Amino acid sequence: MKLLLAEDDTILADALTSNLKASGFDVEVAANGAVAEYLLLRHDFDIGVLDLGLPLVDGLTVLKKVRATKPGLPMMVLTALDGMEQRVAGLNAGADDYLTKPFDFPELEARIRALLRRAHGNTGTAAVQQTGLLRFDREARRASIDRTPIELSPREWTLLDLLLTQRDRVVTKEQIAQGWTPDPNEQNLGSIEVYIHRLRRKLEGSMVSIRTVRGLGYLLETEP
Amino acid sequence: MPLSRWTRRLPLGALRRMPGLTPGTRSLHRHLLLWLLLPQLVLWLAAASFTYQLADRYANQAIDASLSTASRALARQVKPSGSGLLIDFPRAAQDIIEADPDDRVYYMVSTPPGEFILGNSQMPQPPAITEPRLGQPYLYDGILRDPASGDRRRDVTVRVAALYLAYGEPGKPQRMLVQVARSRTSREELARQILIDTALPLSLLIVLMSVIVWGGIRGGLAPLARLRSVVESRATNDLAPIRLEAAPEEVRSLALALNTLLAEVRENVNTQKRFISDAAHQMRTPLAGLKSQTELALSSAAVCADPELQARLQRVHESATRSAHLVSQLLALARAEPEAAMAQSRTRFDLQRLAREVAAEQVPRAIAAGIDLGSDDTELTETQLPVLGNLMLIREALVNLVDNAIRYAGRGASVTVSAHAEGSDAVVTVEDTGFGVPEVDHERIFQRFARATHEGNGCGLGLAIVKEIVERSRGSVSLKSVQPHGLRVTVRLPLSTTTRA
Repeated sequence: MKLLLAEDDTILADALTSNLKASGFDVEVAANGAVAEYLLLRHDFDIGVLDLGLPLVDGLTVLKKVRATKPGLPMMVLTALDGMEQRVAGLNAGADDYLTKPFDFPELEARIRALLRRAHGNTGTAAVQQTGLLRFDREARRASIDRTPIELSPREWTLLDLLLTQRDRVVTKEQIAQGWTPDPNEQNLGSIEVYIHRLRRKLEGSMVSIRTVRGLGYLLETEP
Repeated sequence: MPLSRWTRRLPLGALRRMPGLTPGTRSLHRHLLLWLLLPQLVLWLAAASFTYQLADRYANQAIDASLSTASRALARQVKPSGSGLLIDFPRAAQDIIEADPDDRVYYMVSTPPGEFILGNSQMPQPPAITEPRLGQPYLYDGILRDPASGDRRRDVTVRVAALYLAYGEPGKPQRMLVQVARSRTSREELARQILIDTALPLSLLIVLMSVIVWGGIRGGLAPLARLRSVVESRATNDLAPIRLEAAPEEVRSLALALNTLLAEVRENVNTQKRFISDAAHQMRTPLAGLKSQTELALSSAAVCADPELQARLQRVHESATRSAHLVSQLLALARAEPEAAMAQSRTRFDLQRLAREVAAEQVPRAIAAGIDLGSDDTELTETQLPVLGNLMLIREALVNLVDNAIRYAGRGASVTVSAHAEGSDAVVTVEDTGFGVPEVDHERIFQRFARATHEGNGCGLGLAIVKEIVERSRGSVSLKSVQPHGLRVTVRLPLSTTTRA
C-alpha cells in the first residue's frame, strides 16, 4: 500500500512514518505543499494523508487540485484546526475523512484502513471479514466459526452483518429494525432481543460476543 | 492568570465600581428639582409680598378718596352764620358717614386754634402747618384715644382726612377744620382681601408648576434611567454595543461613549481569544509529534525489555495526552465564548436523540474504563425534545458531561444518560454511581480550572465548558448528589415551541 504523508513537522512526520511502516505501509513524506502536490499528481499512491497547514502551498489547495485530477484517490486530512467551519471546508474541498491533532496512532491507522476498504470494495465493508474465529463472507453469504459453517436466518444474517460493520460501536435497536425493514410501521423492537439471544448462542466459541448496552443497543466485541 | 478570569470580570462590573460613579449621594433628579423649584418659591414669596404692598397702596387710595369725599360732604353741612357756624347735620348725612357699622367713622369740626364744635374731641391733630391750604384735604395716620377708659389697649389706629375751610366776612377771615377719620381695620381688611384674591391663584399656579416641573424632569431623565437599566441588566461578559432607541442627544452620546469603551474592551478580549486559539492550534502539532514519538518508543523492543524505562515513557505519553486534552478543551471554551457562539448558526434538533447518540459514541471508551454506560429511557419513544441552539456546541456540552462521568466515576461504576421533558424544558441528566462530589464543591467546580479531585488526567475545564454553552443556549446546569453515592448533573434547555415546518 503506497501512502503519501504530507506533514511539515519533522518530529511528527518521523514518528508517523515509523508507525505506518510498522503497520505495513510504503510511506513517502512530503515536507511542503508543492512537493505533496507534485508527488500526488505524478505518482501512483493508494492514499494521501495531508496536513492542512503546509508551507508553500496550503493543504486545502493541494486537496482541491488532487481531487480535480484524481477523484478516486482516498484523501485523509490531518489538522490542528478543529472548528466546525474548517471541518466543513476540508470536507467540501474533497477530504474523505478528517482527523484532529493530536490523535492516537491506532485511530489514524483504523481510519486509513477504513478509507482504503471503502475505496476498494465500494460497499464500505470488506467482502470477507475475519473477526476472532468468526469468518463472515458477504459475497458467498456464508459464515463459519473455526471453519465450521453456521446457519443463519435472513434476519440473523442482517443483524450480524450490521454488528460486524459497526464493530466496537453501539448499534441501536432502531438501526437493527431499520435493517430488517425500512417501513417504520412494521418495525418490531420487541423481537430484537429474541434474535440477539439466538445469535449469541450461535456465536458461542467464536471469540466474538454481543454486549448489551443498557438502554442504547448492542455492541459486538472480540474477546481478548 | 488565564484569560477566563479576565473576561469574566470585565467590563461592566468594573464600570459600575468606578470611584467617580458611586450611585445615590447626588441624584440628578433631586438636583434639578431643587434648582428649578427653590428659585420659583423665592420668586413666589417676592411676588406675594409685592402684591401685598400694592394692595395696601390701592386700599389706602380708595379709603383716602372716600375720606376726602366724606370730609367735603361734612363741610358742606357747616354753614357760617354771622361770626359763628351753623351745623345742619341731618340723620341721613350721618348715616352716609357712618355707613359701615363694623367700620367706625369718627369726625370732628373745629375752628382752630382749638375750638371744638362737633364730633369726637379726641381726633388726632393734623401735622402742624402754619399756612394750611384751604379746600384741599390732608391725609394722615393717627391714633384715636378712648377718653372714657384711658385704656391704651382700646386705642384705635385711624386714617384721617383734615379739610381746612375759610368762612366769615371778607374782612375778617376765619378758618374751620373738618376732620373725618376711619379706623385702619377696614383698610387692612381690604388689603388682605386683595392679597388673598391674588395669592390664591398664584399658589395654585405654583403647585401646578411644581407638578409639571417634577413630571418634566422625570420624563426628561427617563432615557437615562433606561440606559442604566440596560447596562445593569447585562451579563458581565456581554460586550455587545448598547442599543437605545429614541433616546435624546445627550443620552445617545453617553451611550456612544460607553459603546466606544465596550468596543475597545471587546477588541482586547478578541485579541486575547485569538491568541489563545492560535496558541492552541500551534501547540497541537508538536503535541501530536510528542504523542506519536512516545507511542513509537513504547512499542520498540528496547523499551519493552526495560520496565522502568517503559513506565517513564508511559508517563510521558500520559502527560502528552493530558496536555492535548487541555488544548482541545481550551479551544472548545474559546468557541463557546459569546462572540464565537453568536456567529454559529442555531438549528432545531431533538435533544433526546442527540443525548442517545453522544452516549452511544462514548460506550467503547466507557467499556475500556470499566464503566457501565447506558440509558434508562424507554427505547424509541415517540416524544421528541425539540430544542433550538447550536448543535455542535450542545453536542460538545453533552460529550463533556459523559466524558466527565467516565473519567471520574471510577471502574465498576455505572453512568446513566437520560432525556425527558419537564414542563417547558427539555432535561438531560447524566447520573453516575461513582464517588460523587461533596456538596460544598458543587458551585466551585463550575469554575474554570477548578477540579473536585486530583485523580484522572482531566484539566478542570469540562463543567466550565458545559456551563458556558448551556447558559449561552438559555438553559441551566445543576449538580445533585445521589444516594448512596454518586452525582447527577442536570441540564435544562427550553423546549422549542415553534411548530414544525
